[in-house]
Amino acid sequence: MKSQQKNQRIRTLVIQVTLLCLSAAFLFPFLWLLSTALKPIEETSKMPPVWIPSTFQWHNFLDAITYGYKSLGYYPFLVYARNSLVLCSLIVGGTVFSNSLVAYSFARLRWPGRDLAFSITLATMMVPFPALMVPMFGLFRQLEWIGTYRPLWIPAWFGSAFSIFLLRQFFRTIPFELSEAAKLDGCSEWGIFRQIILPLSKPALAVVALFSFMDAWNDFLGPLIYLSDQRTFTLSLGLQAYQSQNGGTPWNLLMAASTMVIAPVIILFFFTQRLFIQGIAITGLKG
Amino acid sequence: MDRGSLVFPGLALALVAAAVTSEALVRPPNPDHRTHITYWEKWTGFEFDAMKAVVDEFNRSQDKITVDFLSVSNIRDKTLLAISGGVPPDLAGLESGHISQFADEHALLSLEDMCATAGIKGDRYVKAYWDICNYKGHLFALPTTPASTALHYNRQLFRDAGLDPNKPPETLEELTAMADKLTRRDANGHFKVAGFLPAEPGWWNWAWGCVYGGKLWNGKDTITTDTKENIQGFEFVESFSKKYGPGQIQTFKSGFGGFSSPQNAFMSSQVAMELQGVWMYNFIHMYQPKMDWAAVPFPHPASRPDLARMTFVDEDVLCIPRGAKHVKEAFEFAKFVQSQHGMEELCMGQKKQTPLKYVTPEFIATHPNPYIKLFIDVAQEKNAVVAPQVGIWPEYLDELNNAYDQISLLHLTPAEALKRVRERMQPKLDHYLQRLKMRNELDSVTGQN
Amino acid sequence: MKRFSKESWAGVLFASPWLVGICIFMAYPIAASVYYSFCDFSVLKPPIWVGMDNYSDLLKDEVFWIAIKNTLLYAAIALPSGMLMAIGLAMLLNTKVYGMTVYRTIFFLPSLVPQVSLAVLWLWVLNGEHGVLNELLYHAGIKGPNWLGDPAWSKPALVVLGVWGVGNAVLIYLAGLQDVPQQLIEAADLDGASPWQKTRNVTLPMISPVILFNLIMGIIGTLQVFTVPFVMFPGGSPERSTYFYAMYLFDNAFKYSKMGYASAMGWIMFLFILALTIGAIKVSEKHVHYQGS
Repeated sequence: MKSQQKNQRIRTLVIQVTLLCLSAAFLFPFLWLLSTALKPIEETSKMPPVWIPSTFQWHNFLDAITYGYKSLGYYPFLVYARNSLVLCSLIVGGTVFSNSLVAYSFARLRWPGRDLAFSITLATMMVPFPALMVPMFGLFRQLEWIGTYRPLWIPAWFGSAFSIFLLRQFFRTIPFELSEAAKLDGCSEWGIFRQIILPLSKPALAVVALFSFMDAWNDFLGPLIYLSDQRTFTLSLGLQAYQSQNGGTPWNLLMAASTMVIAPVIILFFFTQRLFIQGIAITGLKG
Repeated sequence: MDRGSLVFPGLALALVAAAVTSEALVRPPNPDHRTHITYWEKWTGFEFDAMKAVVDEFNRSQDKITVDFLSVSNIRDKTLLAISGGVPPDLAGLESGHISQFADEHALLSLEDMCATAGIKGDRYVKAYWDICNYKGHLFALPTTPASTALHYNRQLFRDAGLDPNKPPETLEELTAMADKLTRRDANGHFKVAGFLPAEPGWWNWAWGCVYGGKLWNGKDTITTDTKENIQGFEFVESFSKKYGPGQIQTFKSGFGGFSSPQNAFMSSQVAMELQGVWMYNFIHMYQPKMDWAAVPFPHPASRPDLARMTFVDEDVLCIPRGAKHVKEAFEFAKFVQSQHGMEELCMGQKKQTPLKYVTPEFIATHPNPYIKLFIDVAQEKNAVVAPQVGIWPEYLDELNNAYDQISLLHLTPAEALKRVRERMQPKLDHYLQRLKMRNELDSVTGQN
Repeated sequence: MKRFSKESWAGVLFASPWLVGICIFMAYPIAASVYYSFCDFSVLKPPIWVGMDNYSDLLKDEVFWIAIKNTLLYAAIALPSGMLMAIGLAMLLNTKVYGMTVYRTIFFLPSLVPQVSLAVLWLWVLNGEHGVLNELLYHAGIKGPNWLGDPAWSKPALVVLGVWGVGNAVLIYLAGLQDVPQQLIEAADLDGASPWQKTRNVTLPMISPVILFNLIMGIIGTLQVFTVPFVMFPGGSPERSTYFYAMYLFDNAFKYSKMGYASAMGWIMFLFILALTIGAIKVSEKHVHYQGS
């Protein structure tokens, strides 16, 4: 027993060291991001690279927020942040709502054509987006939705293949006996969905919500195509405004802005990761 | 249970609120009695500010039209998408290189009738700058800021290498010889200073044949990538890779800082001579104001004195996209920019030359770029070279850039690489022209323009 | 309508958002895009029917084949290395070690960064002359290659980058791993199984549905690789060594305005990915184990 304990301790140490080394490898580009965000502009493209700024310019963050105020008459960073938040909440709400319904149907209800519909769902994931971009654009033009947020969030309320697949996989692992028992108690399908499946799947739903939030938050191509007025831009699209076509990019401000764009997502993930990693495993069913 | 029952309605309410907000956000603020036209430009920074000043002046000068001036990145793709989406801007600030493709796509309105009414005539403009606004007999754009190129060289590095800074190279042979003297390398062949690198800044990689008088197509239906002159031009490029080793050039080049930074290869004295445009002054002024530099016409092959004072001309232009809602108002603004005053204010703001033939004495006298006269002059002479005006140019350009890679890495000889480009592009051009004809025939049947 | 039971109605009703959505936002654009693939179509002008021209032209297009070769080569390296990395990381992260919350966040970080910033970051890391990676290699006594400028090294550079962004997959594996019943592991422990045997005979079979899911997503993702090479290697430089299928498709569609040609490319890609996915599902059928059913 002693030697087993010792073995265990050595294993933990090996794992700890491996994780530490890998973390360093994963982290160091972020250190670069952060260090660039704090640099004076002259040091941003110096060769060889400067790791520790000669002076820590904390005001870069403030400058990144006020950048463009002079020529635009509003604080673009704050306006974009507001737009992103409004849009993200609509997209996340729609994604969670519609996909949980659809996934429930695919995972736990039998109806004619279900398997065919599910295969088609999977197949749609493989359609390369650029191939659909132009017809989609034409569709939204017909609806006169170009220049509004509608092309970006309304489709989210009609489900997306990835989330359906993900949720279906998780819903399938919930024992069917639970549904059967509830049905015998006279529960309707909606009741089962609402009172048994949803509470047990909170973590899976959190994953879908997080993924859709990240996608929406970082989406570049969609806003690029469908939004035209700069006042309606989202943060990830607005980031590009810091980049200039012919040089002159304020890299330090770009990185400061990038830091502020990713910071909320990192914090969100840090505090919620336990919920959805642990819970995806549907621990509630074990005992 | 009580709390749980409130979650659903609560979330639903929040989402409805978000949906309402999202609609409110896209509504244009403060409608007034003026006509608002949207104008998209590619510029940011001081170039944006220069045009913004002109826009503000126009908006103040009358009370009917307000120009909403927006900086748009990726302007070419974005404009094309917006035109096809039916929500184009009223004015788009494209580059002259986009015109032929956009025109072939029927994406631009032709402006000659409006110009005739407004009294805007081609003879006021420098010929090269006016010609690139015209395509297949129609005028599709009006100039904003033009640019021409010249050889920029570092006078201090000339002195360091024992060369006379007042005797820059006149022929390509002299350029090569001086480059050898200026180049300094360590024992391992690592560059410290390169006299001249054809790949720096790399914006005219397609054009080396033109330096030897080559043409990239016959102007009608034939690709002529591998003519004798073009091959000579790329052999010039190849000679540098052969001399220094392609790996050494690549490694040295990867250490250069960004173009717009103090670590720019030319401004940090890593490259002594460089082909650059009129804008270079702005960046030297911004990052290395103390630098001792000069600009002279780009050298010509010794065997071709007729190609002396060769320059590449290029231009930023104003276009009115098809489907624009306020064509007349958009043109009003374009007209304002074309005035002597508007033009000089804009071009002085961006510190470039103007596209107009007549230049006020004050413009030259107050222009900060000490070589402005050179850039004005070379653009008016016979060896001003323009990128081919062919709708398939974006694809042709990609092929040429790829051939440049192959040649400079010594993977293919210039003759072979250029032959392959011709063999790939000729069928694509044939195809392109045939489809264009097909579309136009269909238009004439259905009676569209 | 006897066969249409109450459950069937409920099923259709629950699935209705997607059934409607798939018609409007999928079926219509797909049908339109199939039609365009047989047309000469330049976005601004109405499409003109040209039959199989686009497809036959593609077969003759040298660049098309270069893009295919690059993409397959990239996928062949990036997919297995990415999957191994993701499973390995997930297993490490599934242990009970001090600071796990922080580790999990760190490995997920790269998946949170906007792609534009990410590409710019890596340009600095991989720079041949002064890049941080080569600096590290230099200290280890290795002369690093010119990652971005040498056609032989540009694809490996992208693989490194892909491995770095496996956070999404790690998260899904992790969820799967936590779903493995503890009793099974304990039973294996009692039988005296080695860690490798436990992994091979208990853990991997138990997370097989998750592996299949990530495999399919990986196939789709790697074959459609676009944003990062698009930003980092304009035009697929050097010498088109990083010119991938989706980039050529994008260029044809939005740079060269050959929408019909691009649509044809899209459909060839779709059929190829579809065949691969069906193949993967068929092959894995015997090995994938679902707990719930």
